[in-house]
Amino acid sequence: MTPVSLKARGLRKAYGEFEAVKGIDFEVYRGECFGFLGPNGAGKTTTMKMIYGVVIPGGGELSVVGRDVRRDIREIKRRIGVVPQENNLDEELTVRENLLVYGRYFDLPRKLIRRRVEELLEFVQLSEKSGERVEHLSGGMKRRLLIARALVNAPELVVLDEPTTGLDPQARHLVWEKLRQLRNGGTTLILTTHYMDEAAQLCDRLVIMDNGNIIREGAPQRLIEENTSPEVLEFRPRPDRLEDLQRLLETEAEHVERSADLLLAYTHDSDALMQAVRRSGIEIENTLYRRASLEDVFLRLTGRRLIE
Amino acid sequence: MRMHWPSLRGAFRVWQRDATIFKKFWKPALMPNFIEPFFYLAALGLGLGAFVREIDGQDYLQFIGPALLASNAMFAASFESTYNTFVKLRFGKVYDAIVATPVNAEDIVVGEYLWAGTRALLYGTAFTLVLAVLGLVHSWWALLLPPFLFLVGVMFSVMGTLFTSLIKSIDFYAYYFTLVVTPLFLFSGIFFPVDGFPTPVPEIAWMTPLYHAVNVTRALATGPSPEILVDVAWIVIFTAALAMLPVRLMRRRLIS
Repeated sequence: MTPVSLKARGLRKAYGEFEAVKGIDFEVYRGECFGFLGPNGAGKTTTMKMIYGVVIPGGGELSVVGRDVRRDIREIKRRIGVVPQENNLDEELTVRENLLVYGRYFDLPRKLIRRRVEELLEFVQLSEKSGERVEHLSGGMKRRLLIARALVNAPELVVLDEPTTGLDPQARHLVWEKLRQLRNGGTTLILTTHYMDEAAQLCDRLVIMDNGNIIREGAPQRLIEENTSPEVLEFRPRPDRLEDLQRLLETEAEHVERSADLLLAYTHDSDALMQAVRRSGIEIENTLYRRASLEDVFLRLTGRRLIE
Repeated sequence: MRMHWPSLRGAFRVWQRDATIFKKFWKPALMPNFIEPFFYLAALGLGLGAFVREIDGQDYLQFIGPALLASNAMFAASFESTYNTFVKLRFGKVYDAIVATPVNAEDIVVGEYLWAGTRALLYGTAFTLVLAVLGLVHSWWALLLPPFLFLVGVMFSVMGTLFTSLIKSIDFYAYYFTLVVTPLFLFSGIFFPVDGFPTPVPEIAWMTPLYHAVNVTRALATGPSPEILVDVAWIVIFTAALAMLPVRLMRRRLIS
């Protein structure tokens, strides 16, 4: 049995009438990358904030690195790292100073901080920028610096709230690479995302959240297998033939979703489905074949797309 | 919601962060606070002073010079705990970053008190030296001025932080400075003695914080009488009584 790094039971949080998190259960094992996937407002960020003590749970149990968040939050914060969704680097300080000052909040010996800061700058490829004011960094660099900052206390668990939101693809891949290296080094990662590919790329296990509830849990591949068919055909027919095509697909495919003027047909045999559509003579403007992803799982489970 | 008792170590880390930034900008940051008292000394001490007879046996420059030390500490700590704190809270998100570390929200507030006190001490020390050069310091008791100004800084930081913890927009500080800081500056016995006025003017002055600070700085510069222990006690009790309220209110703005 793998040791548990984090455990939540019936965890809930309400702000007045609004229930942000409605009693969720989950466990994170040591050394794994655990994902929270869901649209904006699903309750992901509130859950993350409860882990690092900025939001106090309204009910239920939450223990992090074996300690109760209500009783031992200072000790928990000493042992975890936090990459917030919103950039809150100290704009008045340079890149290096940001890490040095942050290290002091953990009461680490000065020498140790200095050594670790240089290693971390190297790790996130910011050594050359170390003397720059933070405001001069690009978005991707700021995010990497936030990650380096979260590692200054050599945490056993790192919480990342949407680590790649707003980054261009190249910057994003660089962040993914760093997170994979961390995980391979044995650090437990908990991250939120509304990108399916990110969850599929990084996470060993994940939960899908919607409206403050966890609606599914499992390994990314397994979630896809259990909740959707393996292959997807996306059709964009002429607007006047949309209804006809939908009726046809509903008889031929295993499952059909409609998203605006796009029809998504889920199947185990895309060739057969394709032929059936051709035989019908319905004019199609655009067809795309792809393998099913977590996006499809979310669509299937909630009837909505992740990013609306 | 349970509040944690502030940790001095955590507060020190916040103080250290402010000191790190201050070291980078201290020259431009120090200048305005440092120069301003000179204008008062020149305009009022020399200008108005030419028309004023001695007050309590002192010439006018001597009367207002050491008293301005107290108001200088008030201004330094008030700006620090209002505009600067608000920017760190709302725009820079500096505190959001810190509360995710072993430093708790309560420690941040106490650290800011200490930092505001430190700024008041730094400005006050420099200003005391200037007063000494001008021949307005006559007592070795003046060596107690820096630590006393630290205390005055902490007191006004507690008041400023209390206001900061209650407001939603930075525009509200105009009220604080117009309705609190400026009247204190004008009616605390810096420019004219309030004690000679009919009741209830001295009694009202006695209820306000800067009045006591002025009594003490003036006395320390010229040779104190034991009466100032009452003023110091007033400041300590007032500060201690109020100190935890902003801690509680600021915690609510950082932790939900």
